[in-house]
Amino acid sequence: MTSYRLATGGLIDRQTPLSFSFDGKRMLGFEGDSLASALLANGQLLVGRSFKYHRPRGILTAGTAEPNALMTIGQGGRTEPNTRATMQELYQGLEARSQSRWPSLEFDVGALNSLFSPFLGAGFYYKTFMWPAAFWEKIYEPFIRKAAGLGKASYEADPDSYDKCWAHCDLLVIGSGPAGLAAALSAGRSGARVVLVDEHSAAGGSLLSETATIGGASASQFVAETVAELASLSNVQILTRTTAFGWYDGNVFGAVERVQKHVLDPLPAVPVERLWRVVSKRAILASGAEERPLVFGGNDIPGVMMATAMRTYLNRYGVAPGKHVAIFTTNDSGYALARDLESAGVNLVAVIDGRPDAGFRYSGRARVIKGAYVSDAHGRKALSSISVWKNGSVETLKADALAMSGGFSPIIHLACHRGAKPVWSDEQAGFLAPTGLNGFELAGAVNTNSGIAACLADGAARGAACVEALGFTASVATFATVEGDIVAPPAKPIWKIPGIKGKAFVDYQNDVHRKDLALAVREGYGHVELAKRYTTNGMATDQGKLSNVNAIGLLAEARGVSPAEIGTTTFRPFYTPVSFGALAGGHFGHHFQPVRESPLHDWAKKQSAVFIDTGLWYRSSWFPRNSETNWRESVDREVLNVRANAGLCDVSTLGKIEVCGNDAAEFLNRVYSNGFLKLPIGKARYGLMLREDGFIYDDGTTSRLEEHRFFMTTTTAYAAGVMTHLEFCAQALWPDLDVRLASVTDQWAQMSVAGPKSRRILQPIVDDDISNAAFPFLAAKEVSLFGGQLQGRLFRISFSGELAYELAVPAGYGESVADAIMEAGNPHGIQPYGVEALSVLRVEKGHVTHSEINGTVIPADLGFEKMVSQTKPDFIGKAMLNREGLTAEDRPRLVGVVPLDPKASFRTGSHILAKDAAATLENDQGYVTSIAYSPHVGSTIGLALVRHGPERHGEEVVVWNGLCGEFTAARLCNPVFVDPQNEKLHV
Amino acid sequence: MSDFRPTFRPALGAKTAITSAEVKLSALPEGAIVQVLAPPGEQDVASFLSGLGKGGVRTFSPGQWLIVGDEPMTQEDMKTLFETLEPRATGVDQSAGRARIRIDGKQAGRVLSKGTALDLSADAFPVGRSATTLIGHIAAHITRIDSDSFELIVLRGFAESLWDDLTRMSAEYR
Repeated sequence: MTSYRLATGGLIDRQTPLSFSFDGKRMLGFEGDSLASALLANGQLLVGRSFKYHRPRGILTAGTAEPNALMTIGQGGRTEPNTRATMQELYQGLEARSQSRWPSLEFDVGALNSLFSPFLGAGFYYKTFMWPAAFWEKIYEPFIRKAAGLGKASYEADPDSYDKCWAHCDLLVIGSGPAGLAAALSAGRSGARVVLVDEHSAAGGSLLSETATIGGASASQFVAETVAELASLSNVQILTRTTAFGWYDGNVFGAVERVQKHVLDPLPAVPVERLWRVVSKRAILASGAEERPLVFGGNDIPGVMMATAMRTYLNRYGVAPGKHVAIFTTNDSGYALARDLESAGVNLVAVIDGRPDAGFRYSGRARVIKGAYVSDAHGRKALSSISVWKNGSVETLKADALAMSGGFSPIIHLACHRGAKPVWSDEQAGFLAPTGLNGFELAGAVNTNSGIAACLADGAARGAACVEALGFTASVATFATVEGDIVAPPAKPIWKIPGIKGKAFVDYQNDVHRKDLALAVREGYGHVELAKRYTTNGMATDQGKLSNVNAIGLLAEARGVSPAEIGTTTFRPFYTPVSFGALAGGHFGHHFQPVRESPLHDWAKKQSAVFIDTGLWYRSSWFPRNSETNWRESVDREVLNVRANAGLCDVSTLGKIEVCGNDAAEFLNRVYSNGFLKLPIGKARYGLMLREDGFIYDDGTTSRLEEHRFFMTTTTAYAAGVMTHLEFCAQALWPDLDVRLASVTDQWAQMSVAGPKSRRILQPIVDDDISNAAFPFLAAKEVSLFGGQLQGRLFRISFSGELAYELAVPAGYGESVADAIMEAGNPHGIQPYGVEALSVLRVEKGHVTHSEINGTVIPADLGFEKMVSQTKPDFIGKAMLNREGLTAEDRPRLVGVVPLDPKASFRTGSHILAKDAAATLENDQGYVTSIAYSPHVGSTIGLALVRHGPERHGEEVVVWNGLCGEFTAARLCNPVFVDPQNEKLHV
Repeated sequence: MSDFRPTFRPALGAKTAITSAEVKLSALPEGAIVQVLAPPGEQDVASFLSGLGKGGVRTFSPGQWLIVGDEPMTQEDMKTLFETLEPRATGVDQSAGRARIRIDGKQAGRVLSKGTALDLSADAFPVGRSATTLIGHIAAHITRIDSDSFELIVLRGFAESLWDDLTRMSAEYR
């Protein structure tokens, strides 16, 4: 006794058989089948085991809410656990495997859990695994982890590609059942841009399961004609296999399209899934209603199914659920199924109608038992009989399939994603969407309509109204008469069924039964949110689509209140699970994040640079020579060569901003703490930029190229931040100033040529005189290069402490000019140097970077007191600099550190202790901000921020690394280790 | 070193154009790009710039425009242009700081819609309209230059990454 394929009927293509397998067993289905319908057609009732008790489970629904038929499909990297067989289209070669069972689906050892079920009620592990405490980590947790989980993910990489995209429309229609189609038609005909999405493989929704006719045509024919008209409209886009999963601010909807999840071998160039972000001016939710299960004993035995699902299998897929079918309903919709079953020649044992006063006049042959309930279903791996309870007496009926319909819950999830709570309606016996959703309307069954005609009319009217509100001229689409429409008015829900003997499940996916909910209330977890956590009702992949309302009803009864008082848990995206692949889209592997390349990137590559990520930039770290085996060798050589000869370093990544306008000088004067108003044309100046709170924000040099044109440099890290800061100052703080800002970081390839021989190397390249007299320290101007062939900008600034220039040329010429400098410098011993050497050179010189400017230092901490103007009326940071804490005498201030033993070393971040002080936080006197091995000094050197640092040069201290337990005897010293008089800068 | 001939290397010089029936991707010549910045309140700058005939004029941001052309501008021409702009606006040379990519074809809009949240329908974004946006993770400036053609202007340092992303995004239409 089992389900089987009918000889005729259904929307499947019987000319196209498809071979597939389930747990290794070969089976046949047809084009148009879902995996679930094909399994049923093959008589496969048992499709999975339940999560906790490992009870045999069958297919319960024909759609999204399926809690039981979760399978793993695909192989290798394409393995996909928890695929709902009801949503998976059948394809040739599909391989499906059942989950949550060992060693096999038929014989599952885990089913022993059922024997212990009296001890495994809700919250059992909170109570059971309390003691002994030591057992938790070693025994309980590993055991629970092994037992828990739904399906197993693959460890192999997914070979497929995913994508994301945006769509824009006047009206988004979610769901393509009668209401959705009608809404799209009204709106589409008006010329409005319409996007119609449906999560199923074909548009039509419930119409595809209908036997009613519309204007004499079958419902499926009506769908085909309507879809054809919509498809012919260039302003309408139809996306099937697309689940709208979330409603976000600004009327943006998230949707995921399963582009190639229904094929064995996806085309490599086409994504398998596409994540849509749909920006819609108006939207209509036509998501229909979810049929509620009934909570009776054994309601999970394979063969028990939702009534609308059974009707779908019968009418859409030509599959009969069994040979002897019973229907248990609380409303009129069950009779539509009864009628269709009998027309298809299936033996209908009885219709058990919970309403003693049910008024529906059923004209079929089957027995109708009113005022009765199915109290228990019987059977193990398949249904064999049912107990029918009526007025205290129980009758047993033989049945191999049982349909149940406990009423309908509008599918309002999306309407609640932006925070509004559902509202309980006694009249509609369900939770309804809140009103006033601001551009988001409901149509059809989700809007409490029942029957095809009502849904068509509602959809058509709302579709037209939505686009009319946007200024389109729309007329409400009209449709021919519907014959055979069954309207099922809402009926009183039945939460508690009398006479139950077996386990009555509320949440199938989490094995929560009615007693668990009662227990939750007894133990004080009766609040709906607490009950969810306590019992796990409504958790996992289906998020309680079938179970939540029944659970709320049972909680309400147990607490003696209305479901309105219980309320729902919070609806959040995602409506159904979305793969990480779809969320990541194409940002994977090589495309994970962009790379920002310096114009000298390829030049550095030619010089065999080792690169380091600096934000999105790749900077040259060092340039190893053949014989060098570790980075220190290369860096030491580069440092020594800069001090002895010359080096070329790529500094293109530093931020560059042109500050123009008649008030540019005044603007800079307010942005920097030191003066810029009187900076002469042709001169550069080192500037300190403070935050409003007085701490240093960034530093860099700014040059005046023309009266009203300055060229600012920032640090690499803060380039974007400084630009934003300046824009804020210009637009919000001082809109009265005429200042205009342009980011020119990418315009210039900038090279630092540093070392005593730099002038000799550059002079043949630069046409202008760059002698010390003509182009002294801090000179800055546009220069002509290579006999007038090229214009560049030359700055005499130095981070290394040597005679140095920075030459900027248009980015496209960067590589060529760097080549020319290397060629010209070759006789003088020029070598490229990277940011590691740059860092050593600057530490040797006591120059600060963001290692020191770390958000806690003010200018005086670094010895920059003189860079804080006392005469300027105002600048950013001025007011707050005078705060008590910022003028304290014992602020940590910049100082140098060297180990007493040149062979010893210490690390950045280590703390400074007085020589004989104990290693405690109370004795902490400051910390090391930067270190380097200095070939010049012959040992590790460091910069540190230490209390009274500048007054303690020569004092012996201990450098304490509490993390590694290291203590290094050291001496505080002048932070300038090379050329403290700055003589080299001025030669 | 006046005998040395500095050579220009385009940011996307190593990329060959991608051509298919539905989408075409090509690097535009690195000619001239001038960023024009007007003081607040300055009127009719766009028509003033168009009238100069120095290249295509693109809206860049409030009070800012780009003048773009396929031919490089000499230093002298650039200086002359800057002088012409004053006092109504200031020019900043961005010729080397930005790269231009052109995408054409029936699917060009769909390719871009994978990266940008802009509505690129012809009604919302007609020929001549420009906007600064993100294409995936990369900031870019888009102009519709024909019914099925867009010009993208991107920071030079990101040009290769954007090209690679566009190549990936257009793969399914080739």
